[in-house]
Amino acid sequence: MSGAPRLRMRGVSKAFGGVQALRGVGLEAAAGEVHALVGENGAGKSTLMKMLSGALRPDEGEMQLDGAAYAPSGPAEARARGVAMIYQELTLAPHLTVAENVYLGREPRRGLLLDRAAMREGVRRAMELLARVDVRPDARVADLGPGQRQLVEVARALAGRAQLLVMDEPTSSLARDDVGRLFAAVRRLKAEGVTVVYISHFLEEVREIADRYTVLRDGETVARGEVSACSDADLIRAMVGRELEEAYPRVPHRAGDPILELQELAGRGGLRGDLPRSVSLSLRRGEIFGIAGLVGAGRTELLRAVRGLDPIRSGSVRLCCVPPPLLGLLSEDRKQEGLALSLSVADNITLSRLGPLTRWGWLDRRAQTAATVQRAQELGIKITSAQQTTGALSGGNQQKVALARLLHEEAEVLLLDEPTRGVDVGSKAEIYRLIGTLAAAGKAVLMVSSYLPELLGVCDRIAVMHRGVLGAARNASEWSEESLLKAATRGEAA
Amino acid sequence: MRSPRKAGALAMFALLLASCGGKADANGDALLIAVIPKGTTHEFWKSIHSGAVQGSRDAGVAIYWKGPSKDDDRDAQIRVVEDAISRGVDGIVIAPSDNRALVRPLEEAVKEGIPVVVIDSPIDWEGKVSYIGTDNYQGGVVGARALAALLDGKGKVLMMRYFEGSGSTMQREIGFLETVAKEFPGLDVISANQYGGSTTESCYATAENLLNAYPQIDGIFVACEPTTFGMLRALQDSGRAGTIKVVGFDATDKLLEGLRTGQLHGLVLQNPFKMGQMGVQAMADHLAGHPQPKLVDTGTVVATKDNLESPEIRDLIHLDFDRWLK
Amino acid sequence: MNRLRALLAPFLGLLFVVLLFSVLAPESFPTLYNFRTVSTQTVVVGLGAIGMSFVIMSGGIDLSVGSVIALSSVAAAAALNAGWSAAAAILAAILTGAICGLVNGLLIARLRIMPFIATLGMMGIARGTAKRITGGQKIDAPASWLPDLVSKSSADAWLGLPPGLWILLALAALMAGVLRRTPFGLHVVAIGSNEATARLCGVNVPGTLTRVYALNGAFAGLAGAMLFGRLSVGEPTAAVGLELDIIAACVIGGASLSGGEGGMLGAMIGAFLMAFLANGMNLAQVENYWQEILIGAIIVAAVALDRWRHRRG
Repeated sequence: MSGAPRLRMRGVSKAFGGVQALRGVGLEAAAGEVHALVGENGAGKSTLMKMLSGALRPDEGEMQLDGAAYAPSGPAEARARGVAMIYQELTLAPHLTVAENVYLGREPRRGLLLDRAAMREGVRRAMELLARVDVRPDARVADLGPGQRQLVEVARALAGRAQLLVMDEPTSSLARDDVGRLFAAVRRLKAEGVTVVYISHFLEEVREIADRYTVLRDGETVARGEVSACSDADLIRAMVGRELEEAYPRVPHRAGDPILELQELAGRGGLRGDLPRSVSLSLRRGEIFGIAGLVGAGRTELLRAVRGLDPIRSGSVRLCCVPPPLLGLLSEDRKQEGLALSLSVADNITLSRLGPLTRWGWLDRRAQTAATVQRAQELGIKITSAQQTTGALSGGNQQKVALARLLHEEAEVLLLDEPTRGVDVGSKAEIYRLIGTLAAAGKAVLMVSSYLPELLGVCDRIAVMHRGVLGAARNASEWSEESLLKAATRGEAA
Repeated sequence: MRSPRKAGALAMFALLLASCGGKADANGDALLIAVIPKGTTHEFWKSIHSGAVQGSRDAGVAIYWKGPSKDDDRDAQIRVVEDAISRGVDGIVIAPSDNRALVRPLEEAVKEGIPVVVIDSPIDWEGKVSYIGTDNYQGGVVGARALAALLDGKGKVLMMRYFEGSGSTMQREIGFLETVAKEFPGLDVISANQYGGSTTESCYATAENLLNAYPQIDGIFVACEPTTFGMLRALQDSGRAGTIKVVGFDATDKLLEGLRTGQLHGLVLQNPFKMGQMGVQAMADHLAGHPQPKLVDTGTVVATKDNLESPEIRDLIHLDFDRWLK
Repeated sequence: MNRLRALLAPFLGLLFVVLLFSVLAPESFPTLYNFRTVSTQTVVVGLGAIGMSFVIMSGGIDLSVGSVIALSSVAAAAALNAGWSAAAAILAAILTGAICGLVNGLLIARLRIMPFIATLGMMGIARGTAKRITGGQKIDAPASWLPDLVSKSSADAWLGLPPGLWILLALAALMAGVLRRTPFGLHVVAIGSNEATARLCGVNVPGTLTRVYALNGAFAGLAGAMLFGRLSVGEPTAAVGLELDIIAACVIGGASLSGGEGGMLGAMIGAFLMAFLANGMNLAQVENYWQEILIGAIIVAAVALDRWRHRRG
C-alpha cells in the first residue's frame, strides 16, 4: 500500500466530566478497505463515531484523512471532506421523497430554486450502483420498507461522493435478504475505493464483510489485525475481556401441559392489514418456542394479535385453565414502545400492575421499591437504586427491566419479540440464561428472532414464518441455519 | 338546523304585519331593520333587544337582531355590519363598539342606500340619521354628585375603569372626574387609571387587586354593569361591603340586591329599553320620510335604597323580558 | 398526487358550505358584493395562515400572532400619526412583526425554549407593549389609502375584486413556491419531519427555524397593517384569540401539528371555509353559538379524517 492511509486516528482521548470515554485510541484504515470496529455497548464506539462526524472533538490525539489533518466542526464539514455516516437508527425524514432525503443539506440549485432534475438523476445513478432501480427518486420515504430505507442512506453517502463511510449496526433493522443486498452494495463501494468503517455486534457479519478489525474495550484499543487470521473466540475474548464459557448457556427445563393453542389464526396487522394469514401452533408450559422468518413476514403481528393488541380476522386463540393465564409481550422496539425511558426503573417494572402496590388508591412507594429490588435481584439487573432513570441503563439492563415487567405482571406466557436486539455479547448470554430459567419455572415462551444462531441455541422447537403463514414446528436439533433460511425465503422447506 | 324554520317564522310574521297595514319597502316586503348590539350576553343588551321588539311592534316593521360573536370585538361587529349590507336590510340600528372603527363599514352601508341610526354609544361620524342614547358625560356628572352626597363632600374615592377604548364608559368616567374636580374639592381621587377589562371575571380580579392596594377607601365609582358587579363581589369577599360607599351603573338583580342590603348605595340607571324602542321607531320614521333630530338623550336617574319602589325606577329595573323575547 | 388527495376533503367542505348557503340565502349569499365582503374578512386570517403554515410545517407553533397583529396595527397607526406615508406605515407594521418573530425564533432556536412556551411569552409581551404604546387606548390615525386595500366597494377593486384579496393570493402563491421549490422550504419540511435527521445532514436548523419565525412575524405584521385598514384605528385589544383561528385554518387545510405536513393551498381553503361559514350563518340568521360549535366540529372532523386517511395508507 502506498502513501498515507485513508483514515488514521492516533492517541485519541475524550472525557465526559470524570468519565474517561476514550483513552489513546488508534485506528487505521486504507482506501478500499472494510474495517470492522467491534466492542460491547459502552466500549466507546459511538464516541469515536461522533468524533468522525464532527459532533465531538477529541481532548487529545489527532485524526488524519489521506494524510491531512482532520478536525471537522460539524456534519457539514465532515461531509465536505468526504466522510459520511449511516446510523443505527434510520435518519430519514419520512415526509420527504427519496431524492429530497438524499440531497438534504446540500441541495443542487438552479438560481434560487431546487434543481429537482439533477437530484433525480443523482439518485438514479446511485441506485443503479446499488443494483436497486426499484427505489424511485420521487417515492415518499414513509412508503418504503426498512430495507429500502437503509439503501436510501447508502445512496445518500454515494451521492455525496463519500471517501470514508462509517456504518453503525446497519443491519439491526434489516431482514436477511436485505442484509445480503446491503453487503453487495458495500462490496461495490469497496471496489470503488471507498473505505468503510463497519460497526457491528454480529461476528459472523464481520467475518463476511470485513478485511481488518479493531476491538475497543472500556475506551481502549485492545486488539487489531486481519479478520482472516483470528477466530470468533479470540474476538469475543478481546471484547468481553474474559473467556465466555458458553454463548448459549442451557438451563434444564421440561415441557409440560399445553397452555396456548392457536388455530388458523389470521389478523389485521401489517401494512396491508392482512398479517398474520394462517398460524396454528400449540405452546406448552416450560417450553421455549422459536419463530424464525424475514422482517415483514408477520412475526411481530402474530405476537400482537395473540396478546390482543391487534384485532383478529379469523381463527382462534385458546388458553388453558380457568382463570386463563396472563400473556406478557416484550416489544421489539424498546425505546419507542417497550419502556418509558424517562421514568424510573421502579415505575417501569411495576407500571403494568400497580394494584397490589396501592393503599386506598395511593401508590405505596416503599412497596414499589421493595418489589423492584426483588425483581432486580432475581434477574441480575445492575441498578444503583430503584429510582434510577431507566434511560441511563445499558441496553442489556434495559432489556432485563422490560423482562422484569412481564414477571411483575405475573404473565405465564411470555411473548418475546427480538429479546436481544441492541444488547451486547456479554449481556446476551445472561438474557439467554434468564429465558431458560423462566422456562424451568414453568413459564411458556414464544420467541421471535432474526438472529438464527440464537434461535438454534436457545429454543426447544422452532417454526418458520413465511408471508404470514407459519410452517410446521420441529425440534431445534432438526434445523440448521441453512434450512431455516431456506424456509424463510422460499416458504415451507421440503 | 333551526335557521330555516326561524327564517320562515320571521317571514310569516312580516307577512302578518304587512297585511295589518305595516310599512313596506319598494318591493312590497315588510321593512327589515338590522339591530346590532355590541354584545349579547349582558342583560343591558336584552333590555335594548326588548325595546327594539317593542319599537318594531309599534312601527310595524321587522327587525333582525344580531350581535358580534365576541362581545366588544370590533372586527366581529364590522363583519355583522358587512353581512347586514350583503343581506340588503332596509336600515341599520347599531350600538357601535368603537367611535372610529365602525365609521367605514357604516359609510359603506350608506353608500349602498342603507341609513344608520346610532344608539347607546356615540360615534365620530356625521352620516348617521340620529344618535339616541344616554348622555354619558351627564351620567358621570350625576354619579359624581350622588357619591359626593353620600360622603358629605369629603373622603378618598377610587374609580375603576372599564376596558381600554370603550367610548361610552370613558365619557362617564370623564364626567365623573371633571365634576369631582370642579364641584367637590373635598373628594380625593386616589386611583383612576386601572382598567377592569371587558369581562366580569377580569373586572372582579382587578377590583380585588385595587381593594388590596388601598386599605383606606371611602367611596367608589364604577361606570358600567360588569365593573359594578366585579367590584361588588370583591367587596363582599374582602368583608368590606357596606363600609365603602359605592355608586355604580346599570341594574341587574344582583346589583339591586346589593342596593337593598346596603352594599351598594347608588346605581345610575340608563334607559336601554327606550334606546332600542326609539332607535327602531326613529329608523322607521326616517324611512317613511319624516326628518329626525340629530341627538336624543334618553336620560339617567340615580336609584337608591329609598327610591327603589317609586314607579319611575320600577319601570326601569323590573323589565319582564319574556313579554318581548319569547 | 398524495398532496392533492389530502386537499380533497377541505375543498369539498368549502364547496359544500358555498352551495349550502347559496340555497339557504339565495338572494344575499351568492353575490359579487358578498364575495368581496367575505374575501376582505379573510385577508387578515389568510395572511397569518401563510406564515403559520411555515411554522407548523417545521413542527412548531406560534401563539403570539394575535398579539403581534394587534401590535403591528398599532405600529401602523403610530407611523401614520408621525406623518409617514401609508407605504412606510405598512413597512413599519411588517418590521414590527418581523422583530417579534425574530425574537421568537432566537428564543426557540438558540435558547431551545419550546415554541409553545416562547410564543406564549411573546403573546403577553406583544399585547402589553401595544397597550403601553397607546396608553391602553386605541389610537386614531389620519386617513390614507391603506383602508382602501381591504375595501369592498367596487371603486377600489382591482379587476372586480378587493386589492387585499389579490395581495393575499399572490403572496400565498409565492410562498407555496418557496416552500416546495427552494432549499429553504425543503429544510423547513425536513425539520418538521425529522429534526435530528436535518441536523445530521448539515441543515442549519437554528438558522432555518429563526428565519421561519421571523417570516411568520413579518406576515403577522402585514396582517396587522390590513387589520388597521379594516378598523381605521390602531387597536391594542384587537385580534384577541385570532392565533387560534389562524392555526385552525392551517389544520383544516391538512397541516399536522407534529410537523412535516401541510401547505399553502390547504391553509387558504381552511381560511375561506371558516369565513364563508361565519358569513353564511350570519346571512341565514343562525345564532352565533352554532357558528362556534360548527367550527369546532369541523376542526375535529378535519383532523379525524386526516388520521383515518393515514391509517388507510
